[in-house]
Amino acid sequence: MTDNIDFKKYWNKKKIETPAPKEIIKKANEYKRKTRFKLIAANLVLLATCMFISFIWFYYQPEFLTTKLGIVLCIVAMLVYLAFHNTLAPLLINHSLELDSKAQLKQLITLKRKQRFQQTTLLNGYFILLSLGLGLYMYEYVIRMTLPWAIFSYGIVLFWIAINAFYFRPKIIKKQQTKLNQLIAQLKDLNEQLTS
Amino acid sequence: MTFEEIHETYWPKVYRQCIGYINDPDAAKDLAQETFIKVWQQLPKFRNESSIGTWIFRIAVNTCLGQIRKDKKMPKSELPMGMAEEVSIDKEPEVQFLYQCISELPEIERIIISLELENLKQKEIAKIVGLSESNVRVKIHRIKGKLTKKFQHHDR
Repeated sequence: MTDNIDFKKYWNKKKIETPAPKEIIKKANEYKRKTRFKLIAANLVLLATCMFISFIWFYYQPEFLTTKLGIVLCIVAMLVYLAFHNTLAPLLINHSLELDSKAQLKQLITLKRKQRFQQTTLLNGYFILLSLGLGLYMYEYVIRMTLPWAIFSYGIVLFWIAINAFYFRPKIIKKQQTKLNQLIAQLKDLNEQLTS
Repeated sequence: MTFEEIHETYWPKVYRQCIGYINDPDAAKDLAQETFIKVWQQLPKFRNESSIGTWIFRIAVNTCLGQIRKDKKMPKSELPMGMAEEVSIDKEPEVQFLYQCISELPEIERIIISLELENLKQKEIAKIVGLSESNVRVKIHRIKGKLTKKFQHHDR
């Protein structure tokens, strides 16, 4: 065989079926609806919770500083998490497509790092603030109970927090972490291919 | 250009790009579809700074590179009876072999050679992948050498 093989000839002979564009438009719309719904749902749930907690403050007029501090901590935890989530989510969805591969890979790596930060440091902080807030908030009400009831109430809350912190949280983080680390490693490898 | 016209013109090109990258018809179709979903979403924002072709290829290439690398696929023997044979086989074995050879290259080389075979100017390829034109030229030369060797070896 000669050294001059016409690869283009073979390349263009690939059999291809072009699907109807309608199919793609339909999928694009579905995708858009889904991502938008997810973002709105996360916002609604957390904001509604914040409003509900504030409502307790105004309606029941707690006397102790601990209660108010607890409420503030919970709200701060949720708002910080939400603010970060809201700035990151659109970036992840519409990160710039018009960059060249090299620039795009770099951007993607930064984005994925941010996402990893959200899932580790930020989520940890969120849990700590929320648990602390809840604990402080309960104090005013628990102190009015008899001792066994007080222990029982705190016990239940602590148990719930512990399950979240030591079971669900690591499980979720580990799952996403593996995926993200894999992607970052792959992107770095691609970047090296480009620079070598 | 309307989306329908773009789709009609560029689907085969984008699909070849994807199948050169992944050499699996179903996965390539998914990647091509994802590319066109992005094209459809971003089309209103498209400014004529680059040609529409370069723009679409950039999206296609970035879509391919952004995929999480799949581990070894399910071995064909584990597929239900008959399914393994169903994959559309091109009449010419050279066509099949070319795509297979390309998919065995490192990712960036797959991208570059696919764009070259799609008849893009080296200047455009350089713009798409973010390398210098001379670098692209060297790489293309090297990749073609690799492919030629594989073809010669295959023929023996």
